[in-house]
Amino acid sequence: MSQVLSQAGKRSLRLRHPVAGTLAVAGYVVMIVPILFVVATSFTAGSTLRFPPDGFSLRWFAEAAAYTPFVEALVSSLQLAVLATGLALLLGVPVTLAIHRGRIPGKELLEGLFLSPLVVPELVVGLALYQQLMIGLGLNNFSTLLLGHTALLLPYAVRVTGASLALADPALEEAARGLGASPLRAFVTVTLPMLRPGLISAGLLGFVTSFNNVPLSLLLQTRDFRTLPVTMLDYVQQSYDPMVAAASTIVLAATVVVAVVAERTVGFAKIFGGINR
Amino acid sequence: MRARSTSLLLLPGLAFLLVGFLLPAAAMLFAPPGVTFLQVLERMGAMLTDPYDLGIMWRTVRIGLVVTALCVVLGFPIASLLARSQSRWAGVLLALAIFPLLLSNVVRTFGWLVILGSNGVIGQILTGLGVVDDAPQLLYTEVAIVLGLVQLFLPLAIITCYSAVAQVDPGLDEAARGLGASRTRAFWTVLVPLSLPGIVVAATLVFAGSVTAYTTPYLLGGSSQRMLSTQLFSYASVTVDWAAASATAIVMTVLVFLVSGLSSLVGRKGATS
Amino acid sequence: MTTPAAELIGVSQRFGSFTAVDAIDLQIPRGRLTTLLGPSGCGKTTTLRMLAGYSAPTSGRILIEGDDATRTPPEKRNLGMVFQSYALFPHLTVADNVAYGPKMRRVPAPERRLRANEALELVGLAHLADRKPKQLSGGQQQRVALARAIAIRPRLLLLDEPLSNLDARLRVQMRAEIRRIQSETGLTIVLVTHDQDEALEMSDEMVLMRSGKIVQSGAPRDVFPAPADRFVAEFLGYENFLALGDGRQAAVRPEHLRVVPLDTPADGAVALDAVVRDVAYRGVDLLVTLDATDATGAAVRLLADHRADTATGPTPSAGDRVRILAPEARLALLDPTPIPATPTEGIS
Repeated sequence: MSQVLSQAGKRSLRLRHPVAGTLAVAGYVVMIVPILFVVATSFTAGSTLRFPPDGFSLRWFAEAAAYTPFVEALVSSLQLAVLATGLALLLGVPVTLAIHRGRIPGKELLEGLFLSPLVVPELVVGLALYQQLMIGLGLNNFSTLLLGHTALLLPYAVRVTGASLALADPALEEAARGLGASPLRAFVTVTLPMLRPGLISAGLLGFVTSFNNVPLSLLLQTRDFRTLPVTMLDYVQQSYDPMVAAASTIVLAATVVVAVVAERTVGFAKIFGGINR
Repeated sequence: MRARSTSLLLLPGLAFLLVGFLLPAAAMLFAPPGVTFLQVLERMGAMLTDPYDLGIMWRTVRIGLVVTALCVVLGFPIASLLARSQSRWAGVLLALAIFPLLLSNVVRTFGWLVILGSNGVIGQILTGLGVVDDAPQLLYTEVAIVLGLVQLFLPLAIITCYSAVAQVDPGLDEAARGLGASRTRAFWTVLVPLSLPGIVVAATLVFAGSVTAYTTPYLLGGSSQRMLSTQLFSYASVTVDWAAASATAIVMTVLVFLVSGLSSLVGRKGATS
Repeated sequence: MTTPAAELIGVSQRFGSFTAVDAIDLQIPRGRLTTLLGPSGCGKTTTLRMLAGYSAPTSGRILIEGDDATRTPPEKRNLGMVFQSYALFPHLTVADNVAYGPKMRRVPAPERRLRANEALELVGLAHLADRKPKQLSGGQQQRVALARAIAIRPRLLLLDEPLSNLDARLRVQMRAEIRRIQSETGLTIVLVTHDQDEALEMSDEMVLMRSGKIVQSGAPRDVFPAPADRFVAEFLGYENFLALGDGRQAAVRPEHLRVVPLDTPADGAVALDAVVRDVAYRGVDLLVTLDATDATGAAVRLLADHRADTATGPTPSAGDRVRILAPEARLALLDPTPIPATPTEGIS
């Protein structure tokens, strides 16, 4: 890493100040190096988590792929993430339209309300859903998880698609109407294409957020329906073998694919531009 | 768009928000099953005087502050470096800083077990060099939690500071240099003050994330280094003490709200002065 | 007289307590170019948007070709609108932008292409049909917006400040271009502008608006020499305002004030002695700023264009005492009180 930085220094990415440069290198080491160790240990032939790994093999990948709880949890997490993301977009896009194009009082308040799930700690929301919906109302854990994840993703759906909509000229929809499009047709042929980058960003972000979530899902697990991150977390606590490293490496590889898709469609950095503020 | 069709667009989303978030959250804080709000308050009162509970709160806040400070100190230089650079490496490094945000916290935190664990890298290096005979216990310490949280939240600090720095006109740096400021002085007298609102936002996000994170204290802190989040989980799931769980949830939420409120106050003051 | 292309009857638009358009009556004659002219906030764009159907009037009626269209949604009005921002669909090619209207009208694809091409030919951009709007210059985007509006064969073509985003040279070119398109197609055009030169050059009829009311209307060659009041006169570029002594108020343009030596005989309706304040060189002429006293004894500051090549006498310089002359025919007599909105009789 330091080599990359110092080499880059020759090409105008100058580490202007030795202190700043050292801090930057330290930052990247802390962010990236632990991930590299996960990958390295997942290829071990030995049966303990150690570095350097004992030989090279793919046996832990085979074991992870054959370990039923992981496979089932993976399927569950994928189902949950796809459904929650779809639902959040389906509910969130109309809200965005109402906020940006409608004539209603108190828009800021309304937007704040829809962003509020970001403010309350997820663990607290998870506790509330567990206690009130699962125990209180006897709702099954899949429905509760879906409700909770959808509420958690709503802020992304509203804010990220809102950012695209704010960039679009409102006269575009008027132009479509003037050219003979009904309100619905104007939405489908003009507004929706304008929203496309926002929809992709919110979709990717929502999917990843739901798939990776621990705090909200933590209390909402049952034997029938468990999510992958929580299952992996539990496994680490029980046994200390490199199978979780292999599972982690698989998740990492899948995440790289998602990142590449993000880069190809809307631009990687842009996706995160919409989250803050 | 007419008012009626607008409300039709809003209604489904609002209903979901209400059922999936607002109502349960309110009910949990004020009326957990079989417990009155008064009992929750009593339990909270007891916590605020109990040394063990107070210790957990103080540890949570302490770790939050240290992580926040580290993330700003490491993140801001990286952000300003990336935002000001024309090099093609800057794009690669920015992507490298953003990528971890997409990656599961469990995966990211797991790496520290390999590094800090009993057969871990650091232990082996230390024993291998003969510095110590037995590898020291590095896991289940506050240092481990801090390291894990810095790894987790540094990307957030970087992209928040990045957008703040990117909004500062690079011409201002040059103007300061032209007026006789060294690079370092231009950095401190122009870039830092103008990016301050962004730094405050970054600090708030990192702090709020750190004091509510679960995966990191669970994996790297264990039961010896409890934080509010791991304690909350144990009340809700192990001892099933609703009053204590709600009380802890209130403390955690208030802590986050307090810091967010404080930061938006600072932000507003900064904007007017 | 045929039915007007459009007619507004007592149309008002109020936003809360603010009245943007105040009970105006207006007829848009067929096959002509009518401009709505006025400073920003005068209600001209609001009027156009009500005509297009983007906002419903608070009161009054809108007729299009004699039929009540007050509550008709924009997609049913068949009016071609060119927006100030052009509002080209960024995700569609130029050809698809232009074919959008015919598509909404379920015109079959081959004919759609034909019509799009025809409209693009008209604006001279058929060779750019496959580009995206972003790849075009501002002037080209403007032409595409025009073609798109024309391709629906609209009953009226509505242009909202269509030239305001173009640079000065292009703006002048596009004025002629729009006139050409109008004469080739025979379309009825309503154009909103705040630029009096644009209105004078392009209009068959011009309608001057202020504070939501129509102040004056008529053909440019009728309105220009006879502004109804001081507001209109100022808006049309009259710089000098004088009391004539017989109670009348007059406006004179700088090019109609002659700066002559003091001993020149005082013929004409205006003859005042003045002191030269300042002389600014402007290439073709000099802009002379003068201080004088009008017939009522009030101090006035005057501006005169002085062409050294046609003027008699020495070139004025600051501090000179001179005489100012203006012939009766060049005076625009003003109504001393600002006139209320007048019904726009005389149009068509």
